[in-house]
Amino acid sequence: MKLAPEVLELDWEEVKNKVARFIRDYVEKAKAKGIVLGLSGGVDSSTAAALSAIAIGGDKVLGLVLPERETYSPREVKHAKLVAEKFGIKTETIDITPTLKTIQKTIPVFDPEDKLCKGNLKARTRMLYIYYYANKLNLIVCGSSDKSETMIGYFTKWGDVAADIAPLMDLYKTQVRKLAKHIGVPDEIVDKPPSPMLWPGQTAEEEIGVKYELLDLILYGLEHFMKTDEIAEQLNIERELVERIEKRWKSMEHKRRLPQTTKIQYRTVGFDFRLPQT
Amino acid sequence: MKTRFKVALAQISCQQGDKEANLRKIKDYAVKAKQHNADLVIFPELSLTGYVLRDELYKLAEKIPGPSTKAIEEIAREHEIHIVYGMPEVSEKTQATLYNTAVIVGPKGLIGKYRKMHLPTHSVFEEKRYFRPGYQTGVFETNLGKIGLIICYDIFFPEICRLTRLNGAQLIVCISASPAVRKSFFETLTIARAMENTAFVAYVNLVGVEDGLQFWGGSRLVGPNGKVIVSSKYDEEDFAVGEVDYAEIRYIEPLVPTLKDLRPEIFEKLKDAAENL
Repeated sequence: MKLAPEVLELDWEEVKNKVARFIRDYVEKAKAKGIVLGLSGGVDSSTAAALSAIAIGGDKVLGLVLPERETYSPREVKHAKLVAEKFGIKTETIDITPTLKTIQKTIPVFDPEDKLCKGNLKARTRMLYIYYYANKLNLIVCGSSDKSETMIGYFTKWGDVAADIAPLMDLYKTQVRKLAKHIGVPDEIVDKPPSPMLWPGQTAEEEIGVKYELLDLILYGLEHFMKTDEIAEQLNIERELVERIEKRWKSMEHKRRLPQTTKIQYRTVGFDFRLPQT
Repeated sequence: MKTRFKVALAQISCQQGDKEANLRKIKDYAVKAKQHNADLVIFPELSLTGYVLRDELYKLAEKIPGPSTKAIEEIAREHEIHIVYGMPEVSEKTQATLYNTAVIVGPKGLIGKYRKMHLPTHSVFEEKRYFRPGYQTGVFETNLGKIGLIICYDIFFPEICRLTRLNGAQLIVCISASPAVRKSFFETLTIARAMENTAFVAYVNLVGVEDGLQFWGGSRLVGPNGKVIVSSKYDEEDFAVGEVDYAEIRYIEPLVPTLKDLRPEIFEKLKDAAENL
């Protein structure tokens, strides 16, 4: 196998149809009234929202725009509303700053200097809002996680990843960008550098230490059982970089699973209690 | 015996675990097939129950004959049609030994069953966890000639179709529950199996979404020359009817005499090599 950008090419119309069919089928089988999702203004949530609208109609999709003071960006709010307008999605904007302040004040060990813990609190707070709407209005929560970030665990456990469905989770970030362009997500959203917006100035690629174009090819190689040496040689990069990514992928498995338990009885959740989701 | 007849490909989606709903659909499509003058209607693999069932299989599997085969026999009798469908079968001799089985029923009742020989247990598949493989190919004498049954992944193993054909089947029915990433394999193999055996191949695949797996449909009837006689849509329920005329085999066999040219001594070598892979 030759690791080159072409391996990430897919028939985007077919992918669009497949994702839309999946979303529609899930909402119908769940007998839900529609979909709710967090709209950050980034490419992933914009694409998930657009595909939800394509699947079930924009009038049945609710986008929650949930800014907070520290990372507030008029551009991101503008982008969230832009995509909502383009695909006919309803939006509601709620400033989560007061909630965050209250939570921070009531946590005895809260450390304002620990930006990771503080950032994760923001993602988990947004999750509370989104699930309240889902619960109250009988909506399915659509997640926006892509395959690149899921594989390397670049997300907040029980935070942004918390959802009922994650229709983009089998598409790498660079593939989500292509799909986004194919379905008409505005270029200004697709082409900007991605950021989880957990603290001011945060950008994903700087934090991960590698561009998505390269990361996705490394991950694609790992997905296809290629050896680290082989991947490094083909991509003309240091083996240490591939090893670092591989280590990160494997060490983050705990973020992708239900809590581990220990087997005590006949059939056990997470081990051999295997039911279809019907 | 009819040598020329119509075959209906009933490309349906199933309600996971809801046998009553699936039986209703099977009946509706059997009626429709009869309205199209078909003598045989074919449903996908595990069409009685849906494909992704996991531990529910223990609850859903039935003996053959059993309540569901009785219900299908009733449909076949009432509408004077042959029906091939798939279901999880529990062994008569044990209580939790299951098979992934294809059943053929005719207007006069149950004709036979075939237990899937190759159970995929890789990628998204976990069939060997639940099912015991069958040990016999399935060729059944019917009013429509000898019909052979195989199931899905069996088609990747040319020896199964070969043996089915050598046992006299001129029509090989492959019922399937194939997720989308394998489309190109099946589209190639259905044609290859028909050509290399100079037989008709009727392939009927599931559609719909089960636990995130999407089944691609694309059912087809292929002639002994490899020509696709009729095919169904991708990704959605569909119903197609095509004609089987065994006389066509007589024209293609002299042109591509694969059965005449078989070299049985190779099969022994094949066995030795496979045992020492």
